[in-house]
Amino acid sequence: MQLKRVVITGIGVVSPLGNSVASFIDGLETGKSSVRFMEEWTHYNGMRSFVAAPAELKDEKKIPRQNRRTMGRMSIFAAQASEQAVADSGITPAEISSGRTGCIIGSTMGSAKSINDAFEIMLPERDLTRLSSSMFFQCMSHTATVNVAQYLGLTGYLMTSAAACASSLQAVGIAYDLIRLGRQDLFLCGGTEELHPTVTGSFDILFATSVKYNQAPQKTPRPFDKDRDGLVCGEGSGIMVLEEYEHAVRRNAKIYAEIAGYSTFGSGSHMSQSDKKSMIHCMSEALHSADIKPGQIDYINAHATGTPQGDKEEAEAIKEIFGASVPVSSLKGYIGHTLGASGAIELIASLIMMEKGIIYPTLNLKEIDPDCGGIAHITGPVRKEINTVLKNCFAFGGINASLVCRKNIY
Amino acid sequence: MTEQEIIEITNRVFEESFEIEKEKLHPQAHIFQDLGIDSLDVVDLVVALQKSFGVNIRNEEKVRNIRTLQDIYDFIAEIKNEKERQSY
Repeated sequence: MQLKRVVITGIGVVSPLGNSVASFIDGLETGKSSVRFMEEWTHYNGMRSFVAAPAELKDEKKIPRQNRRTMGRMSIFAAQASEQAVADSGITPAEISSGRTGCIIGSTMGSAKSINDAFEIMLPERDLTRLSSSMFFQCMSHTATVNVAQYLGLTGYLMTSAAACASSLQAVGIAYDLIRLGRQDLFLCGGTEELHPTVTGSFDILFATSVKYNQAPQKTPRPFDKDRDGLVCGEGSGIMVLEEYEHAVRRNAKIYAEIAGYSTFGSGSHMSQSDKKSMIHCMSEALHSADIKPGQIDYINAHATGTPQGDKEEAEAIKEIFGASVPVSSLKGYIGHTLGASGAIELIASLIMMEKGIIYPTLNLKEIDPDCGGIAHITGPVRKEINTVLKNCFAFGGINASLVCRKNIY
Repeated sequence: MTEQEIIEITNRVFEESFEIEKEKLHPQAHIFQDLGIDSLDVVDLVVALQKSFGVNIRNEEKVRNIRTLQDIYDFIAEIKNEKERQSY
């Protein structure tokens, strides 16, 4: 069976740097950090990290109430990013409702705020009578996918990937595979996530968060830096339109890149600790599936969140495969770790880097930790022709995902 | 509670919970056809009315017969009166 080819023809972003691709990219270009002190979290007993990268919830009332009522914060972000991606791609409402367009939007879980609100209403007196009808639809794991599908009238293949920080890259990977197999012509795919003290708290109790920069929020996270001390949570949504190549050519669509390869594997070794060996396996398989050699990759967009152990393992894994020949940067210093949305948001940034021929550097990387050495860190903007990109995501649960895109299609 | 108070509180529920413009809230407005309330909204309407009036109407059969805003005003008045009678 001849597998189909898959291209990216639309992108949309809600990010801590702004609620459009343009404002997001502008923030990256100007080296802006969106991390701030979270005064409102200081009353949580046991919390040590009071920094985060919030996005702005705005224009939500443009979504009709009947659609909005079942959307938590993260689904609103996803709906807005999806609308941008659809508009950017130029696909029509008829195509969206044809049954040939699917939707896969990943997230760690349902809306954290809605889940907390539901239990706060219900648990004190074990009383169900004050729960609203829409609460469950905001809390369920596939909330973003189905809210976007209902809002846009999308009738194709619907599912949700839930792989923590690899969720959105898995969403793109699954959509890629399904289009390759000919099951759908188009997919809206990506990820979404929302900030909540319980989300940061879940990392905080594992000592994975940044705690030393509460008084200097913009200096953290510091991927690969010798003074890094943990991750900073962000929020937002990145959505892409994936399209079967011939379908895109027939309608003369703008093509950002072709998805050339993808892989996802488990580490089978530890629930929360990254491990070099499984990262090497994942990246190597992505290259293999793209049928390209390590030297043909022009840029690696790293997962690197600023944790001491995770950055070290990723740097060592990259060094093992690529040495110091391929430029590497992480975008977490600008927007924090947007968790389930990070793969898609950062892949979108990588597509724009390809388009513009520029690599955005790792913000806050002032002194490379010797533990993370031996790879080509980018610490200032670099002009470079970029044809191929490798994007990594490494998640809790030992789930790794890597995706390869190429600009020049032949 | 006066009839006017019942009307004001009920209308406020429709304005705040369902974002319906004040001008549309006349007694004969059909809550499904004119105000766009659907099956999910009915659940929230009951929750909001219970909270606003301090009553428990979730299991009242009569809720199913409500069609217009006037039906709600009458229903609430009836429940409130019954409650007041019982408290004497």
